[in-house]
Amino acid sequence: MDLTAVLPEIIMIIFATVLPAVYLGTKNDKIVAGISIAGIVIAMAIVAQFLWNGASPVVFENLLQLDAFSALFMLVFLIVALYVVIASVRYIEKEKHLAEYYTLIMFATVGMMVVASATDLITLFVGIELTSLSSFALVGFRKKDKRGAEAATKYFVIGGLSSAISLYGISLLYGVTHTTNIAEIGAVVGDVTGLGPALYISLVMLIAGFGFKVAIVPFHMWAPDVYEGAPTPIASFLAAGSKKMGMVALFKVFLIGLLAIKADWEIAVAVIAIATMTLGNIMAVNQTSIKRMLAYSSIAQAGYILIVLPIATDYALMGGIFHIITHAFMKGGAFLIVAGLSMSVLGENIADYKGLAKRTPLLALGMAILLFALAGIPPLSGFASKFVLFSSAVDASMIPGDDWMIWLAIAGVLNSALSLYYYARVVKYMYIEKGPESKIKIPTTVAIAIFICVAATVIIGIYPEPIIDACQAAATAFFA
Amino acid sequence: MFDDIPILSIIVFLPLIGAVIAFALGNNKKMAKLIALIFSAITLLLSLLLLTEFNMSTGTFQFTESYTWIETLGISYSLGVDGIGLLMVILTTLLCFLAILFSWDVEKRTHEYMGLMLVLEVGVLGVFMSLDYFLFYIFWEVVLIPMFFLIGIWGGPRKEYAAIKFFIYTHVASLAMLIAILAMYFEAKPMLESLIGHASFGMLDIALVSGNFSYIFQVAVFGALFFGFGVKMPIVPFHTWLPDAHVEAPTAGSVLLAGLLLKMGAYGLVRIALPTLPEGAEAFVPIMLAIAILSILYGAFASLAQRDLKKMVAFSSISHMGIVLLGFATLSEVGIAAGVFQMFAHGLITAVLFMMCGVVQHKVGTREIPLLGGLAPKIPTAATFMTIGFLASLGLPGMVGFVAEFSVFAATFDAFGWLLILPIISVAITAGYYLWALQRTMFGPLTEKIDLSHLKDVSWYEAAPLAVLCVLIVVFGLLPGLAFDMIRPATEIVTGLLGVI
Repeated sequence: MDLTAVLPEIIMIIFATVLPAVYLGTKNDKIVAGISIAGIVIAMAIVAQFLWNGASPVVFENLLQLDAFSALFMLVFLIVALYVVIASVRYIEKEKHLAEYYTLIMFATVGMMVVASATDLITLFVGIELTSLSSFALVGFRKKDKRGAEAATKYFVIGGLSSAISLYGISLLYGVTHTTNIAEIGAVVGDVTGLGPALYISLVMLIAGFGFKVAIVPFHMWAPDVYEGAPTPIASFLAAGSKKMGMVALFKVFLIGLLAIKADWEIAVAVIAIATMTLGNIMAVNQTSIKRMLAYSSIAQAGYILIVLPIATDYALMGGIFHIITHAFMKGGAFLIVAGLSMSVLGENIADYKGLAKRTPLLALGMAILLFALAGIPPLSGFASKFVLFSSAVDASMIPGDDWMIWLAIAGVLNSALSLYYYARVVKYMYIEKGPESKIKIPTTVAIAIFICVAATVIIGIYPEPIIDACQAAATAFFA
Repeated sequence: MFDDIPILSIIVFLPLIGAVIAFALGNNKKMAKLIALIFSAITLLLSLLLLTEFNMSTGTFQFTESYTWIETLGISYSLGVDGIGLLMVILTTLLCFLAILFSWDVEKRTHEYMGLMLVLEVGVLGVFMSLDYFLFYIFWEVVLIPMFFLIGIWGGPRKEYAAIKFFIYTHVASLAMLIAILAMYFEAKPMLESLIGHASFGMLDIALVSGNFSYIFQVAVFGALFFGFGVKMPIVPFHTWLPDAHVEAPTAGSVLLAGLLLKMGAYGLVRIALPTLPEGAEAFVPIMLAIAILSILYGAFASLAQRDLKKMVAFSSISHMGIVLLGFATLSEVGIAAGVFQMFAHGLITAVLFMMCGVVQHKVGTREIPLLGGLAPKIPTAATFMTIGFLASLGLPGMVGFVAEFSVFAATFDAFGWLLILPIISVAITAGYYLWALQRTMFGPLTEKIDLSHLKDVSWYEAAPLAVLCVLIVVFGLLPGLAFDMIRPATEIVTGLLGVI
C-alpha cells in the first residue's frame, strides 16, 4: 500500500493524538503548542516539497489523490491552521483543556485536507464530517461562555441537518449512477441520458447541503451568530479554513461530477452567487459588531468565489483558487486583529475602534491594509485575485450564448464598490475619529500571526506571479 | 543621458521613499516638512531634466521601460511618456512641490500629511506614465487612498461624509473602467496570440488590434470607459462628489484634486478611450458634445449661485473641464491638442484659485462671500494674486486660459459650426461670477460683519507658490507654443488612430 498520498494527513493525526498525552505529562502549554506547530510545519514541508517537485499525481486506493490541486489546498489549510495555532497560544493559555484545543484544530485541518484530495463522495463526506465535528467542539470550547455555547449549539444543529441533506443527495446520486467515485459519476452523467428526476433532486440536495457549509444565501443565517459567539481565533479558522473546504467540495461535485449537466444548474447557481454576494454586503453595512460585519463580508466573498461554478473554465477555477488563498490571509488576518484587540480589553464593536491609529499605529495600519485588500483596492492581494476572478466572467461572456455571464462580473464589481463602504467606515473610525488615548499592546504570538497575514497580503498583491502559476497548475490538474 | 537608467521609475518612486521617511519621522514636524519638500523638489527637477532629452519632433513614447510582471496574464510593468504625458508629469511634480510648500503651516499630524501628499504624487505620476492597463489601474486606484485620508483627517466640518463619498463614487467609476479594460483584453486576446504570440495588457499591444474590434463592442466599451473617466473629470450629471470633496478638503488637497485628479479623467480619454476605440469615439460624439456643453453651462450657472468662495471655484472647475471635453469631442487634431492645453492651463489656474480660497479662509476666517468685502487695501498682495487668478480663469487674453479656451472654441466651430454659441455663452457668465465675486470680496466698502483685527497679508510660504504659478500663467499665455509643441506630435498620433484628420 502506497502511503505517499496520505502522508501529510498521517503526520497530522500522529501529532494531534499525542498532544493530550504530552500535556498530561508536562502540564506545559508552551510545549503543547510547540508540538502542534511542529506537526503542522512538517506536514507543510512534505506538501511543499511535493509541489516543488512538479507534483505528478499520487493516488491512494482510488479514494484520495495528491496532485497540484489538492496539494495547494492542503498547503493553504495548513497555513491557516498554523497561524490560528500561533495566535491561540495566549488566547487559551488559562483554559483547562488546551491540549484538546490544539488536537481539535489539527483534526479539523486533516478533514479539510481529506476533502482537498478526495476523489470519492464518501471520502469527501468523511472529510467534511471530521472538520465539522471538530469545529462544533471548538466553537463551544469555552463552555461557560453563554454566547459560545449558543453558537456551538446552533452550529451543531445546522451542521447536522446540512450533513444529512448532503448525504441524502449523495445517496440519490449513487442510486442513479451506481458509483461514488466523482470522476465516474461525471462520466455516467455525461453518457447516459434520461437519468430522471432523482438526479435533479440530488442536485438540489447537494446545493443545499454544501450551501449550508459555505454559508451561501439562503443557507447563511447561522454564520454571523456562530462567528460572533465562537472564540475569535476559531472564527478566523472557520472563515479562512472550513468555509473554503466547503467550496472545494462544491468544486469537486459540480465541476467534475455534474459538469455534463451544467446547462441545467448554471443559471440557478449564478443567481445564488449574485444573491449571496449582494445580501452579504448589504447586511454587512449595518452591523455594529465587527465580528458580525466580517462574517457577512465572508458570506459576500463566498458569493464571489461561487461564480466559478457557472463559468466553469480553467481560468475561472484558477481565479477562484487564487481568491480563496488571498481571502484566507485577508479575512483570517482581520479576525486575528479583532482577537488580539479583544484580548487587550478592546470591545468587539466597530465604535470601539475609534482612534485606534493613535493607540496602536502598526495594528491599525495592518487592519487598514487587510480591509482595503478585502475591498479589492490595488496593489493588494485582494485586488489581484478579484481581478482574475471577475475577468474570468468577462472572458466567458465573449463566447456567443454565454454573454449573460458578463453580469456576474458586473455584479461582482458593483458589490466590491458597495463593500468598500463598510470597510472604509472601519478605517475612518480608526484614523479619522477621535477615541481614547491610552496605548494598546497585544500578545507577541498574535502579532506574529497577524504579521504573516499582512505580509502575505502585501507581497501577493505586488508580485502575484508565483501564486498565479501555482493556481494555474492546480486548475489544470483539477480538470485533468 | 537617460539611456541606461530607468529615469521614469526613479521619478515615480522617489516620492514613495520620501513618504516612507516622512511617515517614519513621527512627531518631528519640521523635519517631516523638510523631507517632503526636498523629495518633491528633486522629483520636480528630475522631471524638468527630462525636457532636455525629450525629442519634441515625434509623438512616440520616450524613456520607455518594460519588464514582465505577471507573465501568465500578459501583464508587464511598462512606463513611457509622450508629449501629453510629459506635460502632465511636469504639471504633477510642479503642483505637488508647490502644494507641499503651501502646507507649511499644517501642524496636525504633520508627518502623516506630508507622507500622504507624496503617496498621492506617486499615484498620479504613475497614471500619467503607465503603458500597461493593469499598472494604469493600480496607480489610478492608489490615488484614492491618500486623498481619502487627506479629506477625512484634515478636512472641514463635513469631512467624513465627503471623504467616503469621494472614495466610493470614484471607485465605482474605476470599476466600470476595469470591466472595460478586461473586455478589451479578452477581445484582443485571440488576435494578439496570433500576432505577437501571447495575450497582453499593454496599451500599445491592444491598440495594435483594437481597430478590428466590432462596432457594437467598441461603442459598449467606449461607454464604460467614458463613464469611468467622466466621473473623474467630472462631467454633469456625475459631478456631485466634486463640490463636497472640494469644500471639505484641506487647501493643498483641493489644489491637487482639481489640478491633477480631474486631469486623470481627461488623460484617460485622450490616452485610452479615443485612440483605442475610434469607432466608439465617433459614435459618442453627440453624447460627448451634449455633456460637454451641459457641463460648461451648468458649472458656470452653479458658480454664479454660490455663497462659498471655494464652492464657486469648485463649480467653475466643472465648467472648465467641460471645455476639455468639448475639445476632445471635435475629434480633430486642433481640438484634442487644445483640450490637452486646457488641462494644463486649468491645472495652473485652479491651483491659484484654491490656494487663494485657502488664504482667505486662514487669514479672514470665513469664505462666505456675503460676509467679505473691501479686503484689498488690508491684504494687497493676496488681492493681487486673487485678481490674477480670477482674470486668468475667466479667459483674459495674455493669460494661459484664454489661449486654451480660444483654441477649443476655434476647433469647435470647425467641427460643429454655430453650435458654438451655446458653450460661448459661458464665457460671459464666467466673467460675470468672477468679477462679481471679486467685487464683493476684495473691493467695495470694508466689511463690518466679521472681526478683522488680526487680518494679515499672505505669508511667504503662501506667496511663493502663488507667485510661481502666476508667472507661469502669464508665460504660457504669451508663449503657448512652449506647451503646444510638446502636445502636437502626440495628438497627431491620437488623431491618426482616429482616422479622421
